[in-house]
Amino acid sequence: EKENAAFLRDPVGERLKEDVLEQKGRLQRLVAKEPPDPLSIRVLRGHQQPITCLVISPDDKFIFSAAKDGSVIKWDVESGKRLYVMPGGKKGTEGQHMGHTAQVLCMAISSDGKYLVTGDRNKLILVWEAATCKRLHTFTGHRDAVSGLSFQKGTHQLYSASHDRSVKVWNVAENAYVETLFGHQDVITGLDSLSRECCVTSGGRDGTVRVWKIPEESQLIFYGHQGSIDCIQLINEEHMVSGADDGSVALWGLTKKKPLALVRQSHGTQGESDLQQPYWVSAVAALRNSDLVATGSHSGSVKLWKCGEGFRKLEPLCDIPLVGFINSLKFSATGDFLVAGVGQEHRLGRWWRAKEAKNSICIIPLKRGAGAPSSGAADRAWPRELQELVH
Amino acid sequence: MSFEERLQLQSSTRTRVSKQVTGGKKTAKPAVKQQRNKKGPVEMSAKKPVPFLRQVVSVTKKIHRDPRFDDLSGEYKPEVFMKTYSFLDAIKKQEKEMIQKQLKKCRDAEQKEKLQQLLNRMTQQEQAQKKQQKQRERELSFKRRQRELAKQGKKPFFLKKSEKRKLELAEKYAELKRSGKLESFLSKKRKRNAIKDKRRLPSQKNL
Repeated sequence: EKENAAFLRDPVGERLKEDVLEQKGRLQRLVAKEPPDPLSIRVLRGHQQPITCLVISPDDKFIFSAAKDGSVIKWDVESGKRLYVMPGGKKGTEGQHMGHTAQVLCMAISSDGKYLVTGDRNKLILVWEAATCKRLHTFTGHRDAVSGLSFQKGTHQLYSASHDRSVKVWNVAENAYVETLFGHQDVITGLDSLSRECCVTSGGRDGTVRVWKIPEESQLIFYGHQGSIDCIQLINEEHMVSGADDGSVALWGLTKKKPLALVRQSHGTQGESDLQQPYWVSAVAALRNSDLVATGSHSGSVKLWKCGEGFRKLEPLCDIPLVGFINSLKFSATGDFLVAGVGQEHRLGRWWRAKEAKNSICIIPLKRGAGAPSSGAADRAWPRELQELVH
Repeated sequence: MSFEERLQLQSSTRTRVSKQVTGGKKTAKPAVKQQRNKKGPVEMSAKKPVPFLRQVVSVTKKIHRDPRFDDLSGEYKPEVFMKTYSFLDAIKKQEKEMIQKQLKKCRDAEQKEKLQQLLNRMTQQEQAQKKQQKQRERELSFKRRQRELAKQGKKPFFLKKSEKRKLELAEKYAELKRSGKLESFLSKKRKRNAIKDKRRLPSQKNL
């Protein structure tokens, strides 16, 4: 009878259906969260200088983080230990040193967890083997600092964005450069991509968010922010969220040139009563294929938001108190935890210095809401069930 | 080559201009504009490199208007003009006084001559303006009289140009009589007429 039940459930079919929906961008995992317990936040310290970016491996076991001195550290999520440290070198030792010699601005990891790429202010893109943290290759070609990196999900195609206003496409498996795309009028501050052969970039002061369609060699241009757009993340294949330095957070859809939802001064304002400036949004993160968005600034907390019906509204959910500049935010693949890269300075410059903050990585566990489907469990379990079926 | 092929080759090689010249009619637009959703994002090619000088902030071009030829300034109305620019009369008066003072002080003959000419020009302009003003006033009073007559019921009559000129002349004589220059004016006029008449007479040469 157990066999019958398992057969009726058809996990393979379900998984295939999920994959297809994800590809189309229409899979929605509506997840409502309660505020997490502040005591359960784990702080991992190891970097000397402020953290600029971080990535979580696709199996949610490891976290890679990079800092302003060029060091890259591989952490183990469960134990919180440092597995590998790739220290940053001094300026001028590019030939001899294995790692970076300038500030690392962005990182990406391939969806099979094999390659880790990091980009720095020295116009270099370094390719590392994620398991052993050995440097494999270096991509040169950009003419200014590399500010955004992202893999196409499911492949080894890499997209990179730089301060020279160009987007380059590389093939990491073959160590090859593919092409360059132009269009931005100002430095590119962020880049993200999913499984489609297109990526989205945020253009800083030119106020545009551009979606690059690589096979058609065209771009879609979106306007709507007033400040410099500093960070961007895709929520699903059709929607993205971006944050700007005037404190606004915007939700975008591919069919409308203006944002679907815009929240101004999302983290409040700072300064004296007559000279109030909004807190800059320095990082945004979105749980893939769900309605949960997180934004980070240096206002002392990470804010969680819920996207309304059809992504037309952005409602605040809760605040997670976290002191310092939240330079990077990433959700785990299953949505179990949120990782924040905290520093004493903003990742792009030194306008302020939060002395009371610590340069660290914070792992924030998230409670699951009542109606959340445990698709994570299904993901991990289906090879086993397939074996059951076979046997 | 078949006729069809030849036609195709012709249409492909001919430029739009030559087609217009030979065809005589306007050719159809080269490409159908794709239906672009106005609310949707702009789609552009991603292969064109961005030029070094790029538009960061849009600068509005200053539109230069000449108020003399611009429709926005409206039609010229002398009364309105006089009212709004009446302050210029005071300035002109001041300038005239200044020039008179300079003339008194001046020693240089050439400079004196120039200043005198300038002064004459100014006084003449003033006089011309006054004359125009008087004329306008006269016309206005005439129109008012006409309107009153029309109100009273009598039929309004309009003066011919020659009659107007006669009236003007009469007024001029009255003015001259008052100032006592009538005799000199009349004598000058007689002399001028005499010269003109002499020109009309047959000359000695044509005998």
